Amino acid sequence: MANLSKLPDELQLATAAHVKYIQSLDTRKDEYEYWLTEHLRLNGLYWGLTALHLLGQPDALPRAETIDFVLSCQHDNGGFGAAPGHDAHMLYTVSAVQILAMIDAFDDLEKRGKGKAAVGKFIADLQNRKTGTFAGDEWGEEDTRFLYGAFNALSLLDMVDLVDVDKAVDYIISCANFDGGYGLSPGSETHSGQIFTCLAALSIAGRMESVEVDKLGKWLSERQVAGGGLNGRPEKDEDVCYSWWVLSSLEMIGRTHWIDRDALIAFILRCQDPELGGIADRPGNMVDVWHTLFGITGLTLLGYPGLEPVNPVYCLPKSTTDRVLGSRT
Amino acid sequence: MASHGIARTIRTRTDEQREQDLDKIAKYRDLETQIRMRVKQGSNSDNDNGSYADPVLFQLTTKLLRLNPEYYTIWNVRRCCLTSGLLCRRSGGSSLSKASPSTSRSDTMRPSSGDCLPSSSDSTRPDRKSLRAGRDGKSGISADDGTGSHDTNTGRTQEAEATGADTQEEDDTEAIGKDTGLLQSELAFTIPLLLEFPKCYWIWNYRSWLLSEAISRLPSTIARQIWEAELALTAKMLAKDRRNFHAWSYRRHVVATLESPALNGSSMAETEFAYTTKMIGADLSNFSAWHHRSRLILRVLDEKDADDQARKAFLEEELALAREGLNVGPEDQSLWYYHQFLMSHLTEYSGRVTIAPALTVEERRAYVMKEIEEIKDLLEDYDDVKWIYQGLLDYTLALGSLGGEGKGNEAEGFKDDMQEWLAKLRKLDPMRNGRWDDVEKTLEGW
Ligand SMILES: [Zn+2]
Repeated sequence: MANLSKLPDELQLATAAHVKYIQSLDTRKDEYEYWLTEHLRLNGLYWGLTALHLLGQPDALPRAETIDFVLSCQHDNGGFGAAPGHDAHMLYTVSAVQILAMIDAFDDLEKRGKGKAAVGKFIADLQNRKTGTFAGDEWGEEDTRFLYGAFNALSLLDMVDLVDVDKAVDYIISCANFDGGYGLSPGSETHSGQIFTCLAALSIAGRMESVEVDKLGKWLSERQVAGGGLNGRPEKDEDVCYSWWVLSSLEMIGRTHWIDRDALIAFILRCQDPELGGIADRPGNMVDVWHTLFGITGLTLLGYPGLEPVNPVYCLPKSTTDRVLGSRT
Repeated sequence: MASHGIARTIRTRTDEQREQDLDKIAKYRDLETQIRMRVKQGSNSDNDNGSYADPVLFQLTTKLLRLNPEYYTIWNVRRCCLTSGLLCRRSGGSSLSKASPSTSRSDTMRPSSGDCLPSSSDSTRPDRKSLRAGRDGKSGISADDGTGSHDTNTGRTQEAEATGADTQEEDDTEAIGKDTGLLQSELAFTIPLLLEFPKCYWIWNYRSWLLSEAISRLPSTIARQIWEAELALTAKMLAKDRRNFHAWSYRRHVVATLESPALNGSSMAETEFAYTTKMIGADLSNFSAWHHRSRLILRVLDEKDADDQARKAFLEEELALAREGLNVGPEDQSLWYYHQFLMSHLTEYSGRVTIAPALTVEERRAYVMKEIEEIKDLLEDYDDVKWIYQGLLDYTLALGSLGGEGKGNEAEGFKDDMQEWLAKLRKLDPMRNGRWDDVEKTLEGW
């Protein structure tokens, strides 16, 4: 995939339509669905903004308004809710930190928000000091997704030393299965989403040595099905979002060449709506911002031309992680 | 915002439909505003009961959650309603010396049941202690809000001494009955929501929290009945959707709790193993069931005190079970993964607990050889299934790394076969040619 202009129509990414689609998401306040999904608002902003950055349009959403909205979701305890009036939770706190990192706004968090230290404390307090894993909020539900989120956000804030990294790593290792993959808690079946969170957390901790690379690579590469797309588990249907969970995992263990790149690119592009923009889970389905982001991250990991590179561990533009993490030793 | 499996249609709304939408939005937002106002009002007033001891607020959460069970903040409000007055008995049960083991501060920084405080970032938060004070004795509520199971033990003891023992017992029986009924009606409330939204995390979280409250607030015999009913529910969910990832995970959690001392439990490994046999019988392709089975094997053998002979026999039976399935469906990945799992107990045995640890290297080699031969037989009926060639290659490579006598001869004998299998894989599975390139490099050094 070298030259964009040489690609046939069906392999063209409808960049302009996707940008428009993402920009339109916050203008749908007369739709019931808009209000029913308010509990995802801050995540949605992160998905959309990351997609725009990767499409080379970082300014397509107004920066000042973005910062204002993010800060309006913060609570006194440092954590962020999905939107103003929603309780603080790890999932939204991580999205908030990622957004602020992307638009270089940690200073605003310091000056106008509750400050980095409060965010770090909110996250660190959710670690179960006995087992090493993390809860999503004060009600205590634990999941390796939260552990990864904590590592992601704390390392962007340069505050990983607030938590017990060794205990957390031990916990991840206890979630490993014979096939080299990971489940959502010890004893759970291997699942692509959990593989991503566990590998990325191990990568942030600098502890990839425990990963059974070849076994895991085999399992991951078998996720590609006849149509070119990837599924999340054996005997399941393909879905664009696994273009991220599976592919970024293959990338982290250096085995991306074990699948057919061109077939996956073609599958993702078949899922886009070239007129109205956005990408769906499968061809012909309804688009949404989540699949739009993970279609685009998939394409850029596969080297599709004209896209900004993505960091497979943080799911952020590489330029962001280079800027935020680059100066540290 | 993340939709799966919904067909793309051009959405055009008539003016009438748009009006209907606006009407729905207005009602929904009005409900939301009412809830927020009530939470805030209570916290800003001097009402010692706090904002959550409000039956109207509880009813409003019912309404909103039926419209939108993904609204996690509303589930949190509902929990606070329960712990701030609706539930009578305190967390930790009535027995005052019994501290809830899982909620001590040293385990975790989190309180056991959250902070029931208004969460808007601009409101002034009242002191938790002042919310709790003065609640006792009001409207038959005999316990504190349940958030203070760690730091109010002393106060409780004094209170208990002041109350006559007999009345305490009577009140307690009544309180147990009331709380049991309330927790059960809450569990029932989530059922229609779960059926409609089986993958909504927040409903499962809430359910899971109710169940943990049952343990900390009710006598263990009653709590156990509630958890047993939950196991039946997971079976129902799994009968509907055999591979529901959440339901399987949830089942493991329910089983582990039923086995725990908190519910006077004992191991259920054997019955769970039988459950997987049943599920596999209904659908050989159910990898979730095979996985669950793989996680029970070592426990079942240990609990039976299985000797080396029994362990060998067990391994042989399981290998035969997987192979029988492969004879019928050699493309079934679930069966191959389970077969690989069993084979890994033969080939990767150092430094880990395995099914039959006493096997000698020679015995291991013999088992692997036998499996290779059996898989080769599959080629007579199916010569275009890539999994067969992949299995042959993998197991032959594993045989090579097992060590023991005769290694060189066997390796030589397989060299041509392996090249042939690899060529077949390239032809049958060109998508993974990059992987076959790497396998080729491995074979060169073999
Ligand atoms: Zn998806």
